[in-house]
Amino acid sequence: MSKANENPVTAARNAGRSALDESAGKELLAAHGISVPQSRVAKGAAEVDAVMDGLKTPVVVKVMSPDILHKSDAGGVKINLQTVADVKAAIAGMLEAPKIKGARIDGFLIEEMAPAGHELVIGGLRDPQFGPLVMVGLGGIFVEILKDVSFRLCPIARIDAEEMLAELKGAAILKGARGTKPASMDAIIDVLLKVGGDNGLLMQHTADISEADINPLIVSDTAAVAVDARFILG
Amino acid sequence: MSILKEFTPLFAPQTVAVVGASTKGNALPNVFIRRIREFGFTGDIYPIHPAASEIDGLTAYKSLADTPKPVDYAYIAVSGAQIPAMLSAAKGHVRFAQVVSSGFGEVEEGKNLQSELADAARAGGMRLLGPNCLGIYTPRGRVTFTEIGPKETGPVGIVSQSGGLGTDIIRRGLSRGLKFSGLVTVGNCADVTPSDLLEFYIADPQTKVIGLYIETAKDGRRLFDILRHAKAAKPVVILKGGRTQQGLAAAASHTGSLAGDDRVWVALARQTGCMLVDTLDDFIDTLLIFQTLTPRPQRPTHKVVLFGNGGGTSVLATDCYARLDLDVQPFAQGTISALAELKLPPGTSITNPVDCPVGTLQQDDGRVAEKILDIIYAQGQPEALVMHLNLSAFVGRTKPEVLDNLVAAAMRVQQKHPGKAHFILVLRSDGEPVLEARKREFRDKAVALGVPVYDEMANAGVALAALANFERFKAARA
Repeated sequence: MSKANENPVTAARNAGRSALDESAGKELLAAHGISVPQSRVAKGAAEVDAVMDGLKTPVVVKVMSPDILHKSDAGGVKINLQTVADVKAAIAGMLEAPKIKGARIDGFLIEEMAPAGHELVIGGLRDPQFGPLVMVGLGGIFVEILKDVSFRLCPIARIDAEEMLAELKGAAILKGARGTKPASMDAIIDVLLKVGGDNGLLMQHTADISEADINPLIVSDTAAVAVDARFILG
Repeated sequence: MSILKEFTPLFAPQTVAVVGASTKGNALPNVFIRRIREFGFTGDIYPIHPAASEIDGLTAYKSLADTPKPVDYAYIAVSGAQIPAMLSAAKGHVRFAQVVSSGFGEVEEGKNLQSELADAARAGGMRLLGPNCLGIYTPRGRVTFTEIGPKETGPVGIVSQSGGLGTDIIRRGLSRGLKFSGLVTVGNCADVTPSDLLEFYIADPQTKVIGLYIETAKDGRRLFDILRHAKAAKPVVILKGGRTQQGLAAAASHTGSLAGDDRVWVALARQTGCMLVDTLDDFIDTLLIFQTLTPRPQRPTHKVVLFGNGGGTSVLATDCYARLDLDVQPFAQGTISALAELKLPPGTSITNPVDCPVGTLQQDDGRVAEKILDIIYAQGQPEALVMHLNLSAFVGRTKPEVLDNLVAAAMRVQQKHPGKAHFILVLRSDGEPVLEARKREFRDKAVALGVPVYDEMANAGVALAALANFERFKAARA
């Protein structure tokens, strides 16, 4: 975690890190006005009681380690935990997981669970010739298998954000196809502008951030919450 | 200094120096001297030669710094290694130097020489074009590197990172009726980049539409910023080489640097209103439509009327246009009734597409076309009208004046119904020389009157879709 007067990007660079950990990433998003779930960091099981005090259940626990890039694959994510005891048990279980055992561990992120909604991905990357680009896609198979994403050069205007969403092949799903609730377009556009807009995150940190990944961004019919985020520095 | 003023010595030079001309008169620079004289260049030409006192009847000078007047434009084609010293010795006496020689950044062993060249140009106080290019074609300045090219100045401004493709654009453009405000080949872009020339063309009152052939944009961010701030003031058509992995590899060896990712170019086009095209034909077709027609953002093109001979052609074109997001929608009843009153022979379809076999079109020696067009314009509310004639179908069936009258009707449309709809003429033929000659004659007349002419419906469709796209972009962001 960074000091109060230092932005998380500078803090991570000063600490010689090549990426922001999840907690620092969310701090950066929050500083740009993007909603992230309420969360606290516990160094270990002993701090869980104190940390859980201000959080609404259910919560999710995620391991924080510079050695672990894909937390879920490593067994470092446990969701839907209701009690302090559940959280402590989850942490104990993680410490036994083969891919976590030998890793450097900074702590455990304990976080309120976001309400259900559509899963989107908002990303960023820095092109050597053109500078920062912002990307949006629907989560899961849409982005991974179908590569249904759209890109724009930063900074984007509102109309660019609207057109990015309109050109996704899965755009109709966001409007509530097959009985699902629609996703709030305004909430998605708001996040896109805060990431890729004129004074957005990517424009402000062009020199430091080479890749960004908000995955998933969970979007209900009223709000968008960044549930996980990765920022690669360099 | 304004960009217009800065680039005037390049586009309208008063003095041209030529480095590399031989006393025997057979080197490429000798050809260049001959070409600009034939093209009507009336300024001073200074051959630069270490020993000769005269080349091609012109007084020769020892170095670029020795000419009687400062050099606006220097054309340099000698072996690469001797050029840097030549440029740095020019000491502010040269405005623009174009180095056509190769062996620089496009090959590994020439990379250092290219940085030396750029440094020397800076030290010598000039802007540098190239190296590894062919030259400039600027009708307003009466300078050209090509054997043929239209003498009149027109509205199309081009930048090409490939010299050979630049020649193709001029030659094919000429046969299609394109008229240029300039064409600059920029090769490796050691100093002047497509972005610089884009800035010039945007400011240049001669230029109405801009075409860029780009393989790599080392200053991509600047290109984006220029386009973004221009707010689609002029249409920009981009032919981007190296959009696939394999094309990228070819481009890397062609111009010597890594090209940007394709999705960047798609994004750039979508958010700046540029038209991204895939082939040289699409490039020329799209430039032609912007040369001849004026974009109409207040009523973006969507509804298209097709009129001509060839039932299958009409059906295929309707499919093709639908895929291009153009709508060939049947007429309302009023238009159909008005056309029905003409009592056209059986086999004629009057809904839209309006499909008229030769037997119909030859009525009244072809004058029937004008009556049909008048009704479509008065009642059919087209946003664009594509009239197509399959010239081959008339052979041996009609008098020659039938086609003359049909084409004449096409050429009168804009005068009779000004500002109502974009009008495009498609003249189809089978390549038979006599027909091609007639087509050429029709084409020249029509394009001169502001009617774009295409070889096939699909070509016209691609160009029309680009125009529609530009209009929609302007409308959405006005």
